Amino acid sequence: MSSILAIAQSIEGSAVGTAIAESGIVFPLIEAVHLLGLSLSVGLLLIVDLRLLGVVLRQVPAAAVLDQLRWWVFAGFALTFLSGGLLFWSEAAKIVFNYAFIAHVVFIVLGLANALVFETRIAPRAAEWSDNPRLPTAARLAGLASVSCWVLVAFSGRLIPYLS
Amino acid sequence: MSLLESLQNGPVGQLINGSNHLVGVVVQFVHIVGIVLLLTSVLLVALRLLGLGLRQQSIAEVARLARPFLYLGLAAAVLSGSLMFISTAVVYAAKTALQIKLVLLVLAVLLQSTLVRSLVRQPAGRLLSASGAVASLLLWVGVGLAGRAIGFT
Repeated sequence: MSSILAIAQSIEGSAVGTAIAESGIVFPLIEAVHLLGLSLSVGLLLIVDLRLLGVVLRQVPAAAVLDQLRWWVFAGFALTFLSGGLLFWSEAAKIVFNYAFIAHVVFIVLGLANALVFETRIAPRAAEWSDNPRLPTAARLAGLASVSCWVLVAFSGRLIPYLS
Repeated sequence: MSLLESLQNGPVGQLINGSNHLVGVVVQFVHIVGIVLLLTSVLLVALRLLGLGLRQQSIAEVARLARPFLYLGLAAAVLSGSLMFISTAVVYAAKTALQIKLVLLVLAVLLQSTLVRSLVRQPAGRLLSASGAVASLLLWVGVGLAGRAIGFT
């Protein structure tokens, strides 16, 4: 525990960490990028998930939706993780044991694990199932798990300042 | 008593100010979810108009996909935003960031319901489509940035 705190303190105390924390404008600006970037990452992923669940674009093969949006979603997550990493950099010691932050990280890991299983086990065989309006249970479950994880990620993220 | 004061001290303002902090968190979360849904909708249409996303679908098809997210997102954001405003009307109304945000919001809604709507209904030249898409993205992001500034000014 104390070594985690020591690492977090040295991250927060580093030149970059202090620079972000001490600037009146940089922190809220990164927060804005973190929030607005969610439309690119979580927002476009939601469209994919809702197709997996058969709610939108039912007449379009799920693989077509996935393939057309995949790189935008990846770019969005890169932006969200990068900005989130910078926010953490500037307040690492303050939030490392914050329950909301811990939940935030746990749900991110679950969301990523779900995406990894989907991309390696389910998506490669998309040709077999993706043309149907109603998709197989595994694909629908992956979509449901994805929506649930990322909503919880966003909610726990919003809670961080309230619990620190 | 001014209008802003009576709004803040009225039943809705009292209810929010007197309630648990968790209510405030939930209202803010609804605001964020609304913004994400709204921006996702704007993004889908803009990417399609720019020819950068969902090109296998027609512009009209993408617009039909995006529309419910726009209405749902806007409704959630405006409703939760109004609740936040009512509970602190006197302080918030004086904030330049909020005034800028509201002007940008009106402009964004106007652009969305005129130029973007017509670009979606009947195909136009590449330049006009691209300009409309970029302008709508910039305006909505501007609304978001001005909104983020409210708490810091």
